[in-house]
Amino acid sequence: MKAALTSTLAVLAMLLGWEALVRGRAVSADLLAPPSAVLEALLRHPEILLDQGISTARETALGFLLACLIGAAMGAALSSAALLRRVAMPWVLALQIVPKMALAPLFVVWLGVGAPCRLAFAVFIAFFPVLIGTTAGLAGTDHGALRLCRVLGAGWWQTVLRVRLPYAVPHLLAGMKTAATMALLGVVIGEFVTAQQGLGYVVMFAASLGETALVLAAITLLCGIGVALYGVVLLAEWAFARWYGAPMPAGEFG
Amino acid sequence: MPEAPALIAEAIRFDAVGKTFPTRPVPLRAVESVSFAVRRGEFVAILGPSGCGKSTLLMMAAGLETPTEGRLERGGVKLHGPHRQTGVMFQDATLLPWLSVLDNVLFPATIRRIPRAQVLEAAMRLIETVGLKGFEGARPHELSGGMRQRAAICRALVLDPDLILMDEPFSALDAITRDEMGDVLLDLWQHTQKSAIFVTHSIREAVLLADRVLVMSRRPATVAEELVVPFPRPRTPALADSAEFGAVVAHLRGVIAGNMA
Repeated sequence: MKAALTSTLAVLAMLLGWEALVRGRAVSADLLAPPSAVLEALLRHPEILLDQGISTARETALGFLLACLIGAAMGAALSSAALLRRVAMPWVLALQIVPKMALAPLFVVWLGVGAPCRLAFAVFIAFFPVLIGTTAGLAGTDHGALRLCRVLGAGWWQTVLRVRLPYAVPHLLAGMKTAATMALLGVVIGEFVTAQQGLGYVVMFAASLGETALVLAAITLLCGIGVALYGVVLLAEWAFARWYGAPMPAGEFG
Repeated sequence: MPEAPALIAEAIRFDAVGKTFPTRPVPLRAVESVSFAVRRGEFVAILGPSGCGKSTLLMMAAGLETPTEGRLERGGVKLHGPHRQTGVMFQDATLLPWLSVLDNVLFPATIRRIPRAQVLEAAMRLIETVGLKGFEGARPHELSGGMRQRAAICRALVLDPDLILMDEPFSALDAITRDEMGDVLLDLWQHTQKSAIFVTHSIREAVLLADRVLVMSRRPATVAEELVVPFPRPRTPALADSAEFGAVVAHLRGVIAGNMA
């Protein structure tokens, strides 16, 4: 509680300092709008920002969900088939080495400038941590527990549901936390290159007009979306930790 | 799998059983022509140095490994894979961290889809016998190593198997806890008519618990010496302090030393 108070006070002090710097003309308001101007920009164009914000939030949430589904499915497939792993893993890893932002324009060429392009790009950069979390989780199952399942004559599904999954979920959740921030990043980059809609587009557009207050207002909203999505994953993790009731092997809570 | 006829007096029989693992470049010969049988209600200890192949022997008895030679019979029938009437204990307790002690003990029933109510009473009785009463709701991480292994004993016994296989179940524990666990097992055993194979490298454990001790040779494991433990049951932990007990232990130590030379 005391730590939270200290942190809040520190943030407030920083905002006040920022405001003072700009008002005292140490920094030009054209280069860096003061917090008061950002707040004013938020209140001046609520419907535009809200509309664009909803577009970004929707695509981020959808991209995140698809990344989780695809990442978990691919991770499970790679874990279960050694041949598939040998064939696919070098490609998956090679894709990770490519600076993925550089591929964004290609997605425009393939998918046009609409939502499918932004979604596909978000999924493309967000699925990997989920895939890694899933494979790490499934590989991390205690060998003794698997041997116990064999001794008891447990079926494949029983082993997966009763043993493998509970061991894998903490790793999966750690992957999902990373994926949540990556999905938002992917959508914003998508909005940059498609230049049609979304808060990323507002940022580009406002920056080109030198409207730093509006840029920062849009970024504030982007932070809100990121925090909300991350919060949802944290909530899921909290619920799982309660059920688990023991120190978890990975993806520390917090 | 057909049920074993009740007439069969042997819980399990090894008949010239051998096991070679196809490792490279040289295949690993783990077990060499082992023959012995465990009668119903008999407690047999298998004593041997670490890495001699005695665990492989037990894994075959559990149906987790298949012999490459010879024949393995369970209740008069050739053994194919894990047997429903066999309970197994490993070196580690391998409790599932997200389950309570009670749920861990009941895990075999969960897997076999046996209604909880049907085994709950047996589970609670076992938990009380091993001294875990009051800890039914605790998670494994809240327990000491010895307490976890007690829960694992309950789990191995909860479905009332007629044969229980134990692979150095106390070797991960400290010496004091280890002796304590031996006493718990001894006490538990006086009241059952189960057959048991107990793999260990502790001579004290073997002599205190077993009706018969098989001393294994170095790898590939084969039965080097067989000793019928001359102490009547019921036994108490105090037996281990007697001169006769010490003499048997000394004799076995000599046998093992002779074998290893």
